[in-house]
Amino acid sequence: MGTGWSALTRKDLISPKGRTVLLMGNEAIARGALEAGICFAAAYPGTPSTEIMEALASVAKDAGIYVEWSTNEKVAFEAAYAAAMSYVKSLTTMKHVGVNVAADILMSSAYAGVNAGFVIVSADDPGQHSSQNEQDNRWYGMHAHIPVVEPSSPRDAYKLTKAAYMLSEKYKHPVLFRSTTRISHTRQPVTFEQDVPVEKKCKGRFDRDIERWVLVPAHGRKQKKRMMEVWRKIAEDEGVEPFIRIINPGMKKAIIAGGIAYSHVMEALELLGKKDEYSVVKVSLPVPLPYKPILRVLKEAQEVLVVEELDPVLEIQIKKIAYDNGVTTKIRGKDIVPINGELDLDSVARSILSFDGREPIMPWKPLEPLKLEPPIPARPPVMCAGCPHRNTYYIVKTAANKAGLKDPIFTGDIGCYTLGYEPPFHTQMTSLEMGGSIGVAHGLSKVVDEPVIAVIGDSTFYHAGLPPSINIVYNKGHAVILVLDNQYTAMTGHQPHPGTGLTAMGEPAVRVPIEKLLETMGYKTYVINPMNVRESINIVAEAFKKYKEGEQIAIVSRMKCALQAVRKARKEGIRLPVYHIVEDKCTGCMVCVKLLACPAIVVPKGAKKPKILTELCVGCGLCAQVCPFNAIEIFKEGSPDWLEAWK
Amino acid sequence: MARYNILVTGVGGQGLLTLGRVVGNAAILAGIDATIAETHGLSQRGGSLIVQIRLGEGESPLIPRGAADLVIGMEVLETARRIIYANTNTRVAMNKFLWPPPLADYPDLEQVVDKIKETGVKLYMIDANRISENVVGSVISANMVMLGFAYAVDEGLKKLFDKKHFLQAIERVFRGKAVELNKKAFEAGYEEGLKQT
Repeated sequence: MGTGWSALTRKDLISPKGRTVLLMGNEAIARGALEAGICFAAAYPGTPSTEIMEALASVAKDAGIYVEWSTNEKVAFEAAYAAAMSYVKSLTTMKHVGVNVAADILMSSAYAGVNAGFVIVSADDPGQHSSQNEQDNRWYGMHAHIPVVEPSSPRDAYKLTKAAYMLSEKYKHPVLFRSTTRISHTRQPVTFEQDVPVEKKCKGRFDRDIERWVLVPAHGRKQKKRMMEVWRKIAEDEGVEPFIRIINPGMKKAIIAGGIAYSHVMEALELLGKKDEYSVVKVSLPVPLPYKPILRVLKEAQEVLVVEELDPVLEIQIKKIAYDNGVTTKIRGKDIVPINGELDLDSVARSILSFDGREPIMPWKPLEPLKLEPPIPARPPVMCAGCPHRNTYYIVKTAANKAGLKDPIFTGDIGCYTLGYEPPFHTQMTSLEMGGSIGVAHGLSKVVDEPVIAVIGDSTFYHAGLPPSINIVYNKGHAVILVLDNQYTAMTGHQPHPGTGLTAMGEPAVRVPIEKLLETMGYKTYVINPMNVRESINIVAEAFKKYKEGEQIAIVSRMKCALQAVRKARKEGIRLPVYHIVEDKCTGCMVCVKLLACPAIVVPKGAKKPKILTELCVGCGLCAQVCPFNAIEIFKEGSPDWLEAWK
Repeated sequence: MARYNILVTGVGGQGLLTLGRVVGNAAILAGIDATIAETHGLSQRGGSLIVQIRLGEGESPLIPRGAADLVIGMEVLETARRIIYANTNTRVAMNKFLWPPPLADYPDLEQVVDKIKETGVKLYMIDANRISENVVGSVISANMVMLGFAYAVDEGLKKLFDKKHFLQAIERVFRGKAVELNKKAFEAGYEEGLKQT
């Protein structure tokens, strides 16, 4: 698991021009930014954006650039923007919802502009593979007056990243680079067109340009005029390669497509044998849409189909261009093309056939789903074998019973621990946005009678957990804060954070202890090691009793992510213990199965007793501590120092 | 020319992404264009996972339902779940390993195998986990066993690649002693595949 970075060596990403390397879209963006000459990059991890900064961090020293994992997207944006204010080319990257966190500075950056190339990558997630929504961030460009560049493939992402920097430098304006999951997480051979420059500008200077950087209303009004002039010019002048490309011009039917939709369109036309019937406009600058080439196509064609993923951002602009110029060409879009989820060859081919007034008969014939009894069970993601969150959830629920804490409401957050919404845990009853667990817990504690427990991960706590934690004590809310500290930003692939003791570039860093922050705010704070199950239950039960008495309580549960423990064990030759179930002692009560839902414990078909898949067991020992009949025992001893792997 | 579509299916953690990277690097060595669509993030944590490999010119990274030329199944239930990507001409190379999700009822191996066979696809099976354990000492290289096996049983792959392309790709993707172990795993899967053709 992890991010898959290991396959690409550091050398590959900075190898000379002419080399062809299999790059993930995110790595292609990183290479493009390196070729463009960036010297500063800052981000907060978030799927599907993470590997851009991971790639840059891994070559930072060789390439002579600065890279950091910031505490959140707003902070990352501010840092990278400051570099670009000061004549140093910079990059910030985030997932689509991360732009919401950075929206305040995003808006202001468009007013004040930049002095060196500045690109903001927004990696959107159509289809919600790993996100709470599928918001279309091209709207942010519209909203903020920041041009949006959008690639159609990883190779295109590599080239367009460089074009985005040229655009930013030309207009002294930020540029939003919108990728999507299927660009960011698709690999493709990419041939490098240039070397990574050895000489680049890393030392900046700050112009004390008060009218520009101090956006008091009088200054803001002036900057707005500058911004709108940039906006007008881009729409006027940039309707050229690589931002707009017209394939097979002059046909009666035209398709206008952007992003990944363009790649689907080209292949669908080929498969349907309709390549010669259509002009195709590839839009790589969807916002603001350059009107000149679009108007030309609208005049030449009799019918136009707009194919884009998610919202009708192009369609609305194209219809405006038509209306403003008195063109009555028939324009179709979201009346045919799906608005929900990601597009694929199937849906795009169907849309084209429907536009043509044909029955949607596909050139491929899929098999029917298999009819099985019982049917194939769903397989949602689960907490890994040995995951510390499983221990903590078991401990917290047991302690709540012990302390007589009835029907607690568990507000939740964004991370692997969100999986606690699943049975048997039910320890996540909300999960809305980063840091939301604590803010929502506060409000709930004011309006409901049940006890409230806010569950948040370590990285999320540093990201957005501090202000709402302060708010609870200040405004006399009453909710327990439970921080699950596995020492990494684990879900996105174990990036370091302020509790890890490392920077993105692998240098030692200070640790900011979560328990000290909470104590300073006024919480009585307990720290547990959830591997010690019984001791932890006692401590948490004690904490819950204090909570019932009206005290402000916080609990930090600290145990390293199991994937990292396994990795360390493998690297250092540490053997982790492995457990098994002793058949004679097992009564088949299924407590281990039902209370823990560990993927290493299975019930073989038709069997009355569970079994541990020894190749998956990582020796956390939780099941052995839970078994009422002591039927789970060590099968293979770990090496004497095995606990070191978990430290 | 239509692209050659390989759907890799299994459970997060079974090495599907690595398998995809090896095929992608082999494609570069063989001078074939490729796109490989991966799944990352939360969906990787023990969940149902697919990797979509498309070989030949073209940039749409997603395989249409019914257009898979080859399915490489790392797990039985996941192979069954994704059979909709196959058509009656598809070859299915499946690891004979059924890994039920926690707390769920599920159909048994024989029933699933029978139903897959009934569809008319060409099904080839191998116990890749056991072979990986025998060859490298753990299940960690079952993915390379499956790739070697699929290469041996799939005519389409043989037309596109020489065996050396995969072995060289393994050298590019793995480091240190993992290179030789994974080459051995690939060869072991390949040998087993030859027995079935």
